[in-house]
Amino acid sequence: MKSISLYQDKNTPVHKLDPLSKILYIVVANLIPVLLGNRIATMAFILISIVILTIGRVLKRTAPMLGFSGLVLITVVIIQGIFRQGNATPVLTLGSVVFYKEGLLFALNITLNVINILMSFSILVLTTKPSDMVETFVRLGLSPKIGYVMSSVFQIIPQMTETMATITDAQRSRGMETEGKLITRLKAFFPLISPVVMNSLITTRERAIALEVRGFDSTQKKSFLSELKKTRSDQIFKAALILVFILSLVGRVLMWLK
Amino acid sequence: MAKIVVEHLKYRYPLTEELVLKDISFTIEPGEFIGIIGENNAGKSTLCQALVGIIPNFYKGAYGGKILIDEIEVAKQNVSDICRKVGIVFQNPFNQVTGSKLTVYEEIGFGLENMGLPRNEMIERIDYSLRLLDIYKYKDRNPFDLSGGQMQRMAIASIIAMRPEVIILDEPTSQLDPQGSDEVFRAVQSLSHEGITIIMVEHKMEKIAAYSDRIMLLQDGQIAAFDTPQKIFSMDDLDRYGVNAPAFTRICKSLNIKDEKTGCYPVTLKEAEDALSLSGKGGLRV
Amino acid sequence: MSRIEIQEMDFSYTANEPILKKLSLTLDERSTAIIGQNGAGKTTFVKLLKGLLRPTQGKILFNENDIKSMTVAQISKYIGLVFQNPNDQIFKNKVIEEVMFGPLNIGMSELEARRHSQQALTMVGLQDSEGENPYDMGLSERKLIAIASILAMDTDVVIFDEPTIAQDYKAKEKIKEIVRTLKSEGKTVLTIIHDMDFVAECFERTIVFAQGSILLDGATKEVFAEKEKLQQAYLEPPHVTQLCNSLGYEEVFLTVEDFVSHIKQNRENQS
Repeated sequence: MKSISLYQDKNTPVHKLDPLSKILYIVVANLIPVLLGNRIATMAFILISIVILTIGRVLKRTAPMLGFSGLVLITVVIIQGIFRQGNATPVLTLGSVVFYKEGLLFALNITLNVINILMSFSILVLTTKPSDMVETFVRLGLSPKIGYVMSSVFQIIPQMTETMATITDAQRSRGMETEGKLITRLKAFFPLISPVVMNSLITTRERAIALEVRGFDSTQKKSFLSELKKTRSDQIFKAALILVFILSLVGRVLMWLK
Repeated sequence: MAKIVVEHLKYRYPLTEELVLKDISFTIEPGEFIGIIGENNAGKSTLCQALVGIIPNFYKGAYGGKILIDEIEVAKQNVSDICRKVGIVFQNPFNQVTGSKLTVYEEIGFGLENMGLPRNEMIERIDYSLRLLDIYKYKDRNPFDLSGGQMQRMAIASIIAMRPEVIILDEPTSQLDPQGSDEVFRAVQSLSHEGITIIMVEHKMEKIAAYSDRIMLLQDGQIAAFDTPQKIFSMDDLDRYGVNAPAFTRICKSLNIKDEKTGCYPVTLKEAEDALSLSGKGGLRV
Repeated sequence: MSRIEIQEMDFSYTANEPILKKLSLTLDERSTAIIGQNGAGKTTFVKLLKGLLRPTQGKILFNENDIKSMTVAQISKYIGLVFQNPNDQIFKNKVIEEVMFGPLNIGMSELEARRHSQQALTMVGLQDSEGENPYDMGLSERKLIAIASILAMDTDVVIFDEPTIAQDYKAKEKIKEIVRTLKSEGKTVLTIIHDMDFVAECFERTIVFAQGSILLDGATKEVFAEKEKLQQAYLEPPHVTQLCNSLGYEEVFLTVEDFVSHIKQNRENQS
């Protein structure tokens, strides 16, 4: 079975958490450091995210994403470290290139914030089934039709790639070249794109009819086959998050009053 | 149980000039197994879609006459409402998979969720459909991981779970291998035994002759004949309607051997076997 | 007359799941039907003949030349394949242009391509629809256009993938005619198909694929006599053969005509 989601199917406490709890975590993990204006808070949440990802046994899956953003962040560090306006205190000199403290600290802030966002989102994306996520939104009032479009995308797109492979085979079979000079590849564009589009249109229409005869267009309020499992862990987790958030709010107000 | 009455049905697709259905009238009694045959473009698929209300509601176009299922006029209903009475299964199993569900079990529940049924009733209906179509063992698989025959049975199960009284199948076995085809025919037969009215478009004459109570022969948007399989396939001029009689019938026609009970030519293997043995003209070594 | 020789060919996508196992056979001038359950390896086999897939082991020789060294485009000059779904290839908005696509790709001149295309369209009965848009025509006609687009390439070998799906009686008769005409022109005709009656009426040789190997291979009559092996492959013989089996005949009859003439012969002999 092919799917384009990043979801990893495992049986961990993190997987069993309600998607809403994980969304609350993302909000709290990113809002508190902003409230407290403190690098320590950001680092703390990154650590908490790492712990949660480890419990969910999906920590390794964050590697590609971290690797890629790592590359981008290095360029930020370099550019800010060297060229940021207001750079005054040199910290590192490599040949004729000078890195300044102010720029580096600024870049560090950005890096920490970015990693915090990515890690907290990873918890949601790697441990939640897309259909569960969509169902959460539909229960909250999202139109079931939009919910359907969102859920079906994950499986229907990989199916389309199979059709594209067949179309390519069919045209190559009639002597069409697909490799070589740019002009060769451009000539291959229409014979490939046209059947793909037509096929998709025909398939979509047939599917739309199949959906209609299963009551898709019904004005009746939709029910749900899956059970809403509100576990104790969800309640504890959410309560803890809200508590920490309130504490931070109080802390901020206190700091402001000082 | 629903009775189907069609009165002077006419239909023309939008932006076309010719009528695809030209004044069709017939009645189908509850529980009947009706086969529909005819050459391509005779209007078979159009008729099927009209019976579920997809025509005219999905396609628009020019519509005349009435279709009454259990005295309810189909064209005046929403497809999403009439689908509780009449279900339809199409040729291509792939395009009937919603794509939004990860297991066969949930896939069958899709229509039931749309109907707003309570959870325990959904579970009961899904289990029933899985067993009736003999796909219970696949309930946790991904819908796209099934074979063609299994996928088509899942499509039928998804419709059956909605408990329609009539189910229409438009060439359901045409894209399947012989095994898949057999699986679907057997499944449809168990549906028929449950008392559901079946309307099936088919090109496999030997099969449709064996399963149907009556066969409707369509040509050029009109009903050329609507009778028992024996009477239909005994017609002399089948050729000009673009259909071929079952192999068994053609053999007996050439040898002028009729079935004594029906007075017509045999249309199934069993009928032909009996008629040929009886007549002793088989010249066989038994 | 062309010959395709397959020598001890293996194929698999991944190391531990062999799809085709040590296949050896020779395709000669006899019209050949390939039957078997879905998943038995028939489509994979045909793709290997076209070079769309390459064997993991073994060789395919076309007229003594290993096709390993030929590109898909080069192979398509000699071996043509009509795909199952016409919507997977049609992209022009005039029938004649669609049919000319293949011939032009393999190097025919505009004039030659047009001539061959018109001949091909006549063969499928669509000679009057040259200027129409394929998508304005029904699925059945588009299947015929797909056939024409391969016939126009005038290849030595023509392979059909499920030509009779969704076709009515008249269209099937037309396809039978096409197979017979191709055979009379000396071309090798190969088909993947599920319709046993069609095979019985049209194809001299039948090969049964099961789980990546060849279960049966021989004259169609001989193959359909092997009741147990056919059952193993989840296949049934043609309807006429089934009737004769149930009547207790030892001899195998493939078509209505065969059986009827046998009986009439018997009647004459008895009287």
